[in-house]
Amino acid sequence: MKYLILLFFIFIVYSLGSALYYMMKDNGGSKRMVKALTMRISISILLFVFIIFSFWMGWIKPTGVA
Amino acid sequence: MSTTTTDLQDEIEKIDGHDSHDDHHHGPEPGLLRWVKTTNHKDIGTLYIWFAFSMLLIGGAFAMVIRAELFQPGLQLVEPQFFNQMTTLHGLIMVFGAIMPAFVGLANWQIPLMIGAKDMALPRMNNWSFWILPFAGTMLLSTLFMQGGGPAFGWTFYAPLSTTFAPESTDFFIFAVHMLGFSSIMGAINVIATILNMRAPDMKLMDMPLFVWTWLITAFLLIAAMPVLAGAVTMMLTDRNFGTSFFDASGGGDPVMFQHIFWFFGHPEVYIMILPAFGIVSQIIPTFARKPLFGYSSMVYATAAIALLSFVVWGHHMFLVGMPIAGQLYFMYATILISVPTGVKVFNWVTTMWRGSLSFETPMLWAVAFVILFTIGGLSGLMLGIAPADIQYHDTYFVVAHFHYVLVTGALFSIIAAVFYWLPMWCGRMYNEKLAVIHFWWAIISVNVLFFPQHFLGLAGMPRRIPDYSLQFADFNMISSIGGFAFGLSFIMLTYIIVDCIRNGKPVEGGRAWESARGLEWTQGEKAQYHSFDTPPSRATILAESSHISHEGQH
Amino acid sequence: MQSRPDYYIPSGSYWPILGSVGLFAMLGGFAGSLHGSIVGTIGLVLGLGMIIFMVFGWIGQVVHESENGYYNKEVDMSFRMGMGWFIFSEVMFFAAFFGALFYARQLSVPWLAGEGNNFWTGELLWPEFKSIWPLVAMPDPTNFSIPKGIIGAWELPAINTLLLLTSGATLTWAHWALMNKNRNQLIAGLMITIVLGITFLGLQIEEYYLAYTTLDLKLSSGIYGSTFFMLTGFHGFHVTLGVIMLIVILMRCIRGHFNMDRHFGFEAVAWYWHFVDVVWLGLFVVVYWL
Repeated sequence: MKYLILLFFIFIVYSLGSALYYMMKDNGGSKRMVKALTMRISISILLFVFIIFSFWMGWIKPTGVA
Repeated sequence: MSTTTTDLQDEIEKIDGHDSHDDHHHGPEPGLLRWVKTTNHKDIGTLYIWFAFSMLLIGGAFAMVIRAELFQPGLQLVEPQFFNQMTTLHGLIMVFGAIMPAFVGLANWQIPLMIGAKDMALPRMNNWSFWILPFAGTMLLSTLFMQGGGPAFGWTFYAPLSTTFAPESTDFFIFAVHMLGFSSIMGAINVIATILNMRAPDMKLMDMPLFVWTWLITAFLLIAAMPVLAGAVTMMLTDRNFGTSFFDASGGGDPVMFQHIFWFFGHPEVYIMILPAFGIVSQIIPTFARKPLFGYSSMVYATAAIALLSFVVWGHHMFLVGMPIAGQLYFMYATILISVPTGVKVFNWVTTMWRGSLSFETPMLWAVAFVILFTIGGLSGLMLGIAPADIQYHDTYFVVAHFHYVLVTGALFSIIAAVFYWLPMWCGRMYNEKLAVIHFWWAIISVNVLFFPQHFLGLAGMPRRIPDYSLQFADFNMISSIGGFAFGLSFIMLTYIIVDCIRNGKPVEGGRAWESARGLEWTQGEKAQYHSFDTPPSRATILAESSHISHEGQH
Repeated sequence: MQSRPDYYIPSGSYWPILGSVGLFAMLGGFAGSLHGSIVGTIGLVLGLGMIIFMVFGWIGQVVHESENGYYNKEVDMSFRMGMGWFIFSEVMFFAAFFGALFYARQLSVPWLAGEGNNFWTGELLWPEFKSIWPLVAMPDPTNFSIPKGIIGAWELPAINTLLLLTSGATLTWAHWALMNKNRNQLIAGLMITIVLGITFLGLQIEEYYLAYTTLDLKLSSGIYGSTFFMLTGFHGFHVTLGVIMLIVILMRCIRGHFNMDRHFGFEAVAWYWHFVDVVWLGLFVVVYWL
């Protein structure tokens, strides 16, 4: 489970990083940055939904005082 | 553009009440305020270098106190508590106040000139990076006069000495470190933006002089490492004042965690202080060997390799903290691995000199001294990196000798070499060569008398950071102190030589100060102009001025 | 492309020295006030005021210069690089605190309970101590505030995550509007983003208030409280900065400052917001879930 979430994060950080790269590289002249950011927010929402779903399925539990 | 039109424009803009006009064709502003407001990379470079030099003298004075106390065994001159404040502030001032700002100053002066740029990329921020420093330095030094004294826990400020058991002034120290870090990060951002964005359009990355390359990589290290230091001191601050327990085992934290965070910053930090030195030496040696730099691309890759490795070896500072055996082995092997790219560099310098038409003007003397003495420091570093042997060396004067060989005869010597090398271009005047050579020999002998015996002291078991020691260490300590006073005196002579050069030096004639110096910085005539490279240099000029490609058969 | 073809070098400026004096007064004053000095508190307030004045004055001048066409593409690129590397330094700053969290969870707390070769550490120091995360029973509780509970993931944090993610989506919507030259959508998108950001901050304050008053979960609640508040606190500070920057950008959009070609200010702030959003997602997962 941890690794699955980690995988999500790798994709999120990758798309966020490529947005930064396009911001510096394209100097405002292309849509690559906004596309990368769209990708980043979509994956993030997917991750959030996935966490809720995993909780609902009982795959994960939030940290809490036992 | 004629002067009258420029003046007219100036007038119009004054009437406009808007001071952000392009003052490109003007000289410096008159008056002292020029230095406060300036956005000129040469002004700011000068400010950095003078600031670093005054900090060097203050930190040196602290070192004199240390050596005077250690001249003989027994408590002689100062209280042990004050002695500890001296060792702490000597280290902090030298690292953050002298060496790092001196390199940033050199970067400010040289990088735009060496890549054919008009100025630094973000000139106003450049001014801020500098002007934070005097305030941070004042805050740091003011701790000495506070109740309970200044920080006395060593420049590494290990918790809990720096949290639970530290004087009140430690909070001022923490904020001084925050400010210094802020300044360094902004300076580094500026260097990266300048190198990547302001290069002459016809200069490719692999055309850049090595000083520019090493600074590019250093700037990356700074941006990656300094925020971690900021994090460490922030945790210290909250542990001290707001009840957190990052470094307090009774709350679930760990004082050893401080050491991990500190050295994650600290090890890249030592490369921050040596990579630009590598760059300087790689500029100077080709000039006086009258040969292109040997193995330019391997130098670039070696620098990058050292920088990357520097992030994964921090544990070698902590072999004795109770590290698992696997951790010790890993950190040992990774550390020893660094000697490979470093060795590449040393061999490249030697090979550059091999069969060159060597001449030994002052900058070359310092550069050669750097290569030899830095290598000694590097080799003692290898000894320290061997985990089982380090059990003997840890926290002894052997460590002190090691890092002074790399930081004084390494970093500081390269800075002195750079100043002698470029000063004639900065001010259009030549220093007194005879005095400078005498100064060199004085310094080189005294510095070895100062630090070499400390190897023996360390091997014999004398711990570092103590004001008193047992009798068997007396002889070497006295020799070391004598060398220390002599080395300290040499800086008075250095001051004289530099001031004399700036005020009365013979004007440089015929274009460049050194017969076979190459580099875009030498293309501006006898003296650096206040504004340079209005039009970027051409590809032909860049190639003709390269110090790493062969010019044989060209005239 | 602009009226001045070459790289713009500003002439001398008083903003940096004002910033330095402000920084000195603020931090020195803060250190003084920590030890009960009134002068320190005054310095803190004055310094903070100077910094705020400096930031707005400096940025105002940059905006003015930008709008008057002093900046060419290269200047724009320098700002982009500056922003990018500044963010990288922020990442490293957060990394130090995430590192502290991992170190405590994976190493120091288990070691204190005697894990690995630390049997005698556990035995000799605090033999009663057990390694349970979240750590509410400190090895030596005398000096610490014992929390009755912690903030559960299903309460405010989940709502906050939803808020921030939505704000990221609305900002992206505004970004597309900018690219497609739809000014009304751009302004609407920015406004919604700002409102969501402020709501997030309000709920975060509510969460801290609950933690302090009903749960006794404080900064001084051992390593759990330390990492929890420092991580979420610094994140909240960055959200605050992000909201302020978004408001500035909104003002500029309303004044019609950006167009298809020149919108670095917008891009930088948008990216910053996305970055802050990702940091939160990381916090949400590692602090509240794993």
